[in-house]
Amino acid sequence: MKGRLGRYLPLLVIWLPLLINAGHVVGFTAWTTWLSFTPSDLLPEYDWAGLRSYRSVLRSENTEVAYINLLIYSVGFVGLTTLVGFVLAVLIDQRIRAENLLRTIYLYPLAVSFVVTGTAWGWLFNPGLGIQKFARSLGWSDFRFDWITDRDFALYTIVFAAVWHAAGFAMALFLAGLRSIDPDLAKAAQIDGAGPVRYYLRIAAPGLAPIAISVLVILLQFAIKTFDLVRAMTGGGPGIATTLPALVVYDFMFQRGQLGRGSAAAVLLLLSLLLVLLPYYAYAQWRARKERAANE
Amino acid sequence: MNRLGGDTLRPLPRPGRWLLYAVLAAFAVFFLLPLVVVILNSFRTAQEIARTSVIGWPLGLAWQNYAEAWGGYCIAQRCEGIQPYMVNSFLLVIPATILSTALGAIAGYSISLWRFRGDTIVFAIVVMGVFLPEQMKLIPWALVLRELGLTNTIGALVLIHTVQGMSFTTLFCRNYYIGIPQDLLKAAKVDGAGYFRTFWRIILPLSPPILIVTVIWQFTGIWNEFLYGVTFTTGGQQPVTAALIAIATTPATDLVEYGIQSAAVLLAALPTLLVYFFGGRYFLRGLTAGAVK
Amino acid sequence: MLVRRRDLLAGAAAAAALPQSLSAQTKPRVTFISQWSSGSDGAAISGLGKRLEEEGGIWQHSPVPGFTTEMMNKLRADIIAGNPPAASQLKGPEIAVWSKIAPTVNLDPLVSAAGYEKLIPTELIGLHKPQGHWIALPMQVYRTTTLFMSRPAMKKVGADKAPKTWAEFNALATEMKKAGITPVANGGIRWDDGMKLEIALSGINCEAYRGALMKLDPKALKSAEMLQAFVQLRKFADWMDPAIAAQHYSVNLPKFLKGEMGMLMMGGWAQGVIKNLGGNLDDVLITSVPQDEGKPVFVLNADSMIFWARKEPDLAAGQQLLAKLMMQKDVQEKYSQTTGSIPVRTDVDLSGPAWTDGQREASAVLNDSFKSKRVLLSLAHNMAQTNPITAAMIDVLTEYVHNDKVTPEQGVARLAAAVDNARG
Repeated sequence: MKGRLGRYLPLLVIWLPLLINAGHVVGFTAWTTWLSFTPSDLLPEYDWAGLRSYRSVLRSENTEVAYINLLIYSVGFVGLTTLVGFVLAVLIDQRIRAENLLRTIYLYPLAVSFVVTGTAWGWLFNPGLGIQKFARSLGWSDFRFDWITDRDFALYTIVFAAVWHAAGFAMALFLAGLRSIDPDLAKAAQIDGAGPVRYYLRIAAPGLAPIAISVLVILLQFAIKTFDLVRAMTGGGPGIATTLPALVVYDFMFQRGQLGRGSAAAVLLLLSLLLVLLPYYAYAQWRARKERAANE
Repeated sequence: MNRLGGDTLRPLPRPGRWLLYAVLAAFAVFFLLPLVVVILNSFRTAQEIARTSVIGWPLGLAWQNYAEAWGGYCIAQRCEGIQPYMVNSFLLVIPATILSTALGAIAGYSISLWRFRGDTIVFAIVVMGVFLPEQMKLIPWALVLRELGLTNTIGALVLIHTVQGMSFTTLFCRNYYIGIPQDLLKAAKVDGAGYFRTFWRIILPLSPPILIVTVIWQFTGIWNEFLYGVTFTTGGQQPVTAALIAIATTPATDLVEYGIQSAAVLLAALPTLLVYFFGGRYFLRGLTAGAVK
Repeated sequence: MLVRRRDLLAGAAAAAALPQSLSAQTKPRVTFISQWSSGSDGAAISGLGKRLEEEGGIWQHSPVPGFTTEMMNKLRADIIAGNPPAASQLKGPEIAVWSKIAPTVNLDPLVSAAGYEKLIPTELIGLHKPQGHWIALPMQVYRTTTLFMSRPAMKKVGADKAPKTWAEFNALATEMKKAGITPVANGGIRWDDGMKLEIALSGINCEAYRGALMKLDPKALKSAEMLQAFVQLRKFADWMDPAIAAQHYSVNLPKFLKGEMGMLMMGGWAQGVIKNLGGNLDDVLITSVPQDEGKPVFVLNADSMIFWARKEPDLAAGQQLLAKLMMQKDVQEKYSQTTGSIPVRTDVDLSGPAWTDGQREASAVLNDSFKSKRVLLSLAHNMAQTNPITAAMIDVLTEYVHNDKVTPEQGVARLAAAVDNARG
């Protein structure tokens, strides 16, 4: 009896949770994809409506604005976060005295929910309440910092708050990478007379390439899914100036009660995610193969 | 810990050192600004804040803001402050974190060290789960919860976060366990250890770095989540993020109580902040040990 | 696991009849969902709950934090779970849409017993009887086309009366701008931008509004009146304060009351907001927005509650009690006095001290417009169209207000395109 149990129990333990998780991923994705081809409104319906929802979503004013915003936002957010994260990691790597304290200060924004991040930065950016009002109260009466109310600049306030949130994470990853570089490499550089700048740019950075790519991918998929932050900071406004694809999905599904179109928007979102992830997957496979070849 | 540049590279000359610290300090100010503003505001009265801006030094220490926020502030027609919501959040986060971490560890262990048919596909699907946007899962979950009879309970949220959390935790753990030297496992097999014994005797003792990363990540993520919390629970069972949203969307028709709101925000963020303050270094260590590849 | 529409429709067709009697022990109970968690709306709904309890009922209100969408999500999740509240907030054409997905309660017996249908504006009746019988009740009525003028600002430019046509309005606004006053005190959030169009269009031509925004007639949507409305809308946008333009209008109220901003075009609820902020209503002149046609128009916004069919006898009895109360004169008076709206019943006497001039004026306009068939349904507040169409139209309007590179011609074209797209 124990033998039989002993043999099957591991299988059960291995498979059951995995199946539930994989099942929910496959099931929900399939269900959403199916719905995107139906005329569902408030509740799911299962008749076939072809590409009607997709056409409607792609022609909607807010979809167009959302994807343009996504482009600007992704480039700004991913670029700045990676840059700041790398710089911070390099700086912290310099035998700093208050390393623990500084590292905690740079990391803690990750602990804060987007609702709180959006609310706090929303207050600071509010011209009648935050930085603009403060500067003016100090006597600087022409000071203007009302980006968040400006249709063309509001998106950058979101980038700002998002970089604040994620830069510490990028820093942590880069720091981990820097610290796992072979020390012999550093000694060799020292013998060759390389200064710190040269060391970081010529030697450490290439070694960090895999980590940098991981960071880029994580941040990018994170940018594509951004939802809570925008909702809490600007609600998608002014007007629809800061809307993003995840908000469009929510808008169609729940604000407008058009599940068919919302599902189509969600599928489009997933496709843009795949566009980022599949190349990364291919790259990871390529690198693994290269490593295996190098080890033989 | 490998301190690169420690004994090998020359430290920067004096002026360089000052510049270094100046830049670091500038960044520190940038990162600390919202926290400091919220802390200072929590000690100011609403009138003070309305008169000046949200940036300002408190005139006195308005401790009553905290008392109000904790026990008396009216949120969505319940005047009990955020305390009951904090309790709900703990009731939700602790089981969900423990379960998702445990299941992720076992799953990661299975996938990385016990090859079985279909493991690559299953792993790919599980990882895909990390990237699914939450909006599209809202209605499917509503249907599932209906079948299970779990609507409007904290249990519903625990289930959702456990199942979804497994994606992350499995990913982290698998990447970590893959780095465990094969010799250790061979030795265990030779000793006759099976699936469970190997896990218990060998894997688990090696796991603390990654488990800490996972626990911190899950705790933070689940504590801060709001969409499912608002939709699948009601009234007194809602987690604290729902209360924060209620506070943030109070119509700006009366004197907005920014002071009490700041206190509430701080109290609600305290658990995750503490987790990062005390666990930050282990988080970094875990990441260094290869959580993300 | 699939929610079959047929099953739900079968339930809806057999809309529950109310129970005849109730055992002495079970008290009538109402579970209610809304977004009204604070402010004057919260106070009003709590007042209603207290009244229910005074009449022997049990009131269980679960306000959903967030905006209307969160409330509707919760409602839908509860409906999917087979556990809808006894009653919930819902308004306008959405009542018809949602009534198809879950069974509702037939209120006809109660409504005819109270003789209610004769007492309320006709435009409202159709919205609450989508399948031919009453399933929802209106709670209060607002006019969206109210013009608030800051008396201090008026004094500064020497104006002594409100403008009666858009030409007069534009002239006055130009005067104010020259005197350093911001002419338009509106905010810049979505529904505010949508309201500005409906105010402009209803003031230009009542039937153009009805055709374009209520019937979605393509010819009306591309008519000359619509173009004129967009031109006027651009003027509004230029006269707003660019720095505060994307926020809730209440942010502008302090300046408005001091006379630094001149005119606010808003719904009647702004009166309550001004009072709450400690403003003195004597500093404000409340009247109707300019009407080029010279005759009064009333653009209507109403909150309503819908009743969902429940088998439990205590909930059913609670629904009966709530419905009866909601149709009563004294309950509506108290509700409207708390929020600053007009009661739904047209037979309420507003001459007492508890009512403000603003409410009296709005009520008089409602009666006049009703007689001359010039009552319209608000677009921006989800009374004229269902949510998807409204949202698509407001996308265009809010983008137009905040992006001055869009010309009025382009705005008209985009609006028509958005309507087609949302309906297809």
